[in-house]
Amino acid sequence: MGDTIEYDYGPKGGEVTADTLALLAEMGKQFVSTGDLDISLNLAVEHITDYVEAAGGALFMLDEAGETLTCEACYGDTDIIGMKVGASQGIVGACVQNDTGEIIRDAQTDDRFHKNVDENTGFTTKSILCAPMSVKDVKIGAIELINKRTNDGFFEETDLALLSALASSAALAIINARMAEQLVEQERIARELELAGEIQLSLLPKGGEGWPVAGINIPAHTVSGDFFDYFQLEDGRIVFNLGDVSGKGMNAALMMAKTHSLFRCLGKTIDHPGRLMARVNEEICETATRGMFVTMVGGIYNPKTGVLRIANAGHEPPLLQDQSGAFHSYPADAPPLGISPLIVPDDGYPVEEIHMNGGAFYLFTDGLTEGYVNGNDELGVEGVETLLSQNREADVTSRLAVVIGAIEQTETTQLRDDLTMLGVDDREAMETRAGSSNMQAAIGSEQVVIARVSVPATADRLKLLRSVVGDTARLAGFDDKAAFDIMLAVDEAGQNVIRHGYGEDTSGDMELVISRCAENLVYELFDSAETVDPTTIKSRDLEDVKPGGLGVHLIHEIMDSVEFLPRSQEGGNILRMIKKVDS
Amino acid sequence: MQHEIREQDGSRIVALSGDVVLQSSPEVRRILLECVEKGDSLLVDLSAVDYIDSSGVASLIESFQNARKRNQGYVLVSVSEGALRVLQLARLDKVFTICDTVEAGLAEVG
Repeated sequence: MGDTIEYDYGPKGGEVTADTLALLAEMGKQFVSTGDLDISLNLAVEHITDYVEAAGGALFMLDEAGETLTCEACYGDTDIIGMKVGASQGIVGACVQNDTGEIIRDAQTDDRFHKNVDENTGFTTKSILCAPMSVKDVKIGAIELINKRTNDGFFEETDLALLSALASSAALAIINARMAEQLVEQERIARELELAGEIQLSLLPKGGEGWPVAGINIPAHTVSGDFFDYFQLEDGRIVFNLGDVSGKGMNAALMMAKTHSLFRCLGKTIDHPGRLMARVNEEICETATRGMFVTMVGGIYNPKTGVLRIANAGHEPPLLQDQSGAFHSYPADAPPLGISPLIVPDDGYPVEEIHMNGGAFYLFTDGLTEGYVNGNDELGVEGVETLLSQNREADVTSRLAVVIGAIEQTETTQLRDDLTMLGVDDREAMETRAGSSNMQAAIGSEQVVIARVSVPATADRLKLLRSVVGDTARLAGFDDKAAFDIMLAVDEAGQNVIRHGYGEDTSGDMELVISRCAENLVYELFDSAETVDPTTIKSRDLEDVKPGGLGVHLIHEIMDSVEFLPRSQEGGNILRMIKKVDS
Repeated sequence: MQHEIREQDGSRIVALSGDVVLQSSPEVRRILLECVEKGDSLLVDLSAVDYIDSSGVASLIESFQNARKRNQGYVLVSVSEGALRVLQLARLDKVFTICDTVEAGLAEVG
């Protein structure tokens, strides 16, 4: 180690004249200043051996289990560093166990003396002086001195008193040094945690102004088990997720990093949320340990259509606030990720398709709903809804900030759990889809009605509807192919009214109004059926080939804009579809 | 909607014609499922179908899935322009096996 340390207490190997207190003080300083316990121990044994005028000295430390004594430092005529004896064996063992010092005048006749030590070292032990190192009830070890250099080799009672005092002082110094070591270790861990937290933070996406998706994560401790992410695919769709890893601390943070990376990597090639989550689940199940699992909602939002498709793996139900301000909840119908690859259906996690129609979709972790507001009240889902409703006019980032900000975070009220929230807002995208704001204004004012057909809502009248739609489309300048598509879309809309609007009731009517508005043809289909909640209208998940549910998909595929509107207070629905003439 | 069933080279060929729409699709569904039930490979000839809507497409999907479960061949042949357009919009043109002619269809299931 190369350290050389000068010390200036009493004479070495000479008569005992120096101030014992000076030695004690010096030893204590030594332990603190070197910062290395091994060096300090060796110096202590050296000082003590010289001070008591012994031929050799050894310091034994008890291991953590209290089973073995090991010689950690040694000075003088013999070198026994590393020698191990049982915790109650030999003279040292007895000294440690009884917590009393001892003078052995003739070591060779003492049964407890290990003669083989002398045989191995070639040294003849005459007398031994041994004192325990302990602080209160904590046994640390003992210091053993061999052969007094004066007095014919025999130790005196005064030597024992001196060694006992020095050993106690060494014990205290060792405990202090150990605590200091632990502190350094704790600080190192704290620094590493801080670094891990910074890296985690850098994993979170940075959206920026005007983005329809935003998220916030505030960890309760340095690292977080929550996460969210979003990124855009080449075709403009936005893939997003939000999740919560079971447990807290470093293991949860590592699991979070893994899930996050898997989703981001696989999400760029698998554009089906159910199958994407199934793949992430397989990977996590393959390597997950300690029964950890992840609750997560993954989804894909298409700003061009306002269609959101999500899969929920055991996570808190997300919320949709539709354009009217009403909330809809989407509870999980599948287990969390990491439980088993077998419980997921072959075609992936169940996918929910939501037509946002200008609404906003929110994901959050239970840290938010269970967070405290006003002392001991939890915010709850109702609290989240109230805050969102109060701030509907703000942009999505500000709305999230208000909700997260409601949870009390002061120095005295430590967060109970990580706070994480993500929002997807369709409002601006819907305005873009509707053409432009001036077209919105034009609807109703400069609409020129081309045709108006009112028929009983029965299957045999659809042919009439089809021929009117096809003819008017061609008249308006669409080619045969486009006219065919439009005819198909309006036909499907009529079918939906018959099959789902009126159902068994065959006495209902429907009216189709076709009008021209600037460069657009507007198709409005009116019915008097019970008002439908537009967010419950599902188009089929095309990746899963199933009969049925195709109609709404075809309508969205063909038309430039599709809106479901309530007709009046008394009920009824309007389906407004717009097709640009030049498209 | 009209239909015609014939057998050729161990396969059953169903030729549909006219409009396969909400009104007629329950009958189309029944015909196609019965043909699959009989156990041979099935060719559905759509050359004379003027128009097919989502309910008609649903009948095709259901019978196609039944055939696949039973490991029987199932091919759409001579698909008319209109029917093909609907299958494309539904992104099902890659799901179904589609052949230009009855002969090509027979070779496919043979």
